Amino acid sequence: MTQRHILLFFINILFTITVISQEEQDTIKVKENYGIRVGVDLSKPITSFLETENKGLEIVSDFRILKNYYAAVELGFLDKTTSEDYINFTTKGSYIKAGFNYNAYENWAGMNNEIYVGLRYGFSLFNQTLNSYTPNVNGTYFIPETLEPNTEFNDLTAHWVEFVFGMKVETLKNLYLGVSISFNNMISTTEPENFKNLHIPGFNRVFLNNTGVGFNYTISYLIPIIKKNK
Amino acid sequence: MFSIFAILSCEKDDICIENTTPNLIIRFYDNDNQTEAKQIVLDSVWANNKENIYKNETIDSIIVLPLDLSQNNTLFKFSSNSIEDEINFTYDRNDIFVSRSCGYKTIFENLQIDSNSTNWIKNISINNTIIENDTAAHITIFH
Repeated sequence: MTQRHILLFFINILFTITVISQEEQDTIKVKENYGIRVGVDLSKPITSFLETENKGLEIVSDFRILKNYYAAVELGFLDKTTSEDYINFTTKGSYIKAGFNYNAYENWAGMNNEIYVGLRYGFSLFNQTLNSYTPNVNGTYFIPETLEPNTEFNDLTAHWVEFVFGMKVETLKNLYLGVSISFNNMISTTEPENFKNLHIPGFNRVFLNNTGVGFNYTISYLIPIIKKNK
Repeated sequence: MFSIFAILSCEKDDICIENTTPNLIIRFYDNDNQTEAKQIVLDSVWANNKENIYKNETIDSIIVLPLDLSQNNTLFKFSSNSIEDEINFTYDRNDIFVSRSCGYKTIFENLQIDSNSTNWIKNISINNTIIENDTAAHITIFH
C-alpha cells in the first residue's frame, strides 16, 4: 500500500513538472522590436522613369508608439505636367503628411505584419504653371489658336485629411513591403486666379467634389531601437 | 484596388458639359414698330472671306453667329433679297477658366459696332455689350 502511494506520488510530481515546463514554454518572453521604420514609395521612381513629365519621390517613415499604434509621416515632392483636352499645366511642389496607423492584425509570436487603418493630415506648398490652352468653342467656323501664356501661380497651399488602409509584410528580417490606398478630403486650398488646382502634390488629382485617391507601394527598413516584451 | 481607381477616375469632370465660348445672337425687328419682331429672308450670312453660316433661310426671330476669337473684330456680311449689308463688330476678348475638361472659354466684352452699311438695314441697337452666354440677343437689327 505504501509502495503504491510512493509510486503515485512520484508520478504526480513528474506530471506536475512536465505540465509546469510546458507552461514555461508557452510563456517564453517574445521580444518585439520598437524602432523607426524608414522607406520609399516604389511607385514614384517607376513612374518617373516611365513618364518623362512626371517626376516624384516620397519618403515614408513610421514609429511604433504603442503595441498597435504607429506614428507615421510621409515626405515627398512632385513635378508633373498634366495634359487635358484644352489645357496643359505643370504642378510642382512638396508635401508632408503626418498621422498614425492602427494595426488591426493579431500577429503570431515572432511575426511583425500589419493590416492597418490610418489617419493623416496633409499639407502641400506648390506652384502651378498654365503652359498652354485652347479656348473651347463649339463648331469649326473660327478655329481658335492655342495660346501659351506660361502663367505661373506661386506659393499655393493645400490642407487635407486622408483615410488610409494598408498592409505591411516583413519579408526579410526588419525589411518590410507595404501597400496602401488613401482617400483624401480637402480642407482648404488657395486657388489660382482664373484657374483651378486640378492636381496637388501628395493629394493627387483633385476631383470635382474636392476628393482624391492615393496609392503607395513601399519598401522600408526597421531600425530597431528598443526591444519590448510582447 | 485598381478597379476602385478606375471607377473613381471616371468622374463627371472627364466630359465637358458646361457652356463654353458663347456666340453673337442677333434678332430682327420691325423698324416701323420697334417693339415687334419682323421676319426676314436671308440669302446668306458670312464672315468676311469665309463660307456661309446661313444660306437661303427665312428667319423668324434670331440668328446665331460665332465671333472670331483670334481677332478683336469680326466683319459679317448679310445678304437679303440680293441686297448686301455689312457690320463690323469690335470687342475685347477675355478667357475664363471653366473646368478641367472644358478648359477655357472666351467671353467678349465692350461689344461695339465699328462701322456698318445701311442698304436694307435701317437701324442697329446693342442690347448687351458683354457676350457671356447664348441666352438672349445681344444685337437688334431693325429692317
